[in-house]
Amino acid sequence: MQLARVEGNIVATRKHPSLDAWRLVICQPLSTSGTPEGVPIIAIDSHGAGMHQQVIISSDGLAARKAVGVDKSPVRWLVVGIVDEHEPGIRV
Amino acid sequence: MKLGTVIGRVTLSRSNDLLKGGRFLVVSPFSREQYAKGLEKGAGMGKDPSLVVYDNLGAGVGHVIGYEEGREAAQPFEVYPPIDAINAALVDKMFYSPFEG
Repeated sequence: MQLARVEGNIVATRKHPSLDAWRLVICQPLSTSGTPEGVPIIAIDSHGAGMHQQVIISSDGLAARKAVGVDKSPVRWLVVGIVDEHEPGIRV
Repeated sequence: MKLGTVIGRVTLSRSNDLLKGGRFLVVSPFSREQYAKGLEKGAGMGKDPSLVVYDNLGAGVGHVIGYEEGREAAQPFEVYPPIDAINAALVDKMFYSPFEG
């Protein structure tokens, strides 16, 4: 699992059928200090993560396939949660 | 999924039996700077090394695609072929705004 920030989304008409109707968000992985680290990753999102919100993304393909409900899906990254705070009492 | 620009194609006259009939694209992965540039101006190439991606959606040279890497690339097939990147989406539009501060 990785800490990331939502920086946009993509639209694709031709895609694997398992991704139909799924929101595809662009997630920029972050370091512990909150600076961007590495290249953005596109994940499926069922939580409705907003622009520039911090999220946790997971590369668990099995969980992602269960989320889309198609066993033959190539999906790998999914948003598993939206970050409230890094330290108790300090909201991001 | 990651984004990349299709910069070429590969054909194989001798190949693993499970790869017969497949289309293969040479893809240059997007850098963070290219996301900021957007799709309209012609994405060009990133600094990262290019990779070969299995394609069953029909992408052509110049298209921007979303490819899935790793074990999941072989998942759509009945018998898992030896591939580690597959084209999962042809990107039509991208909305991207990097976070400032």
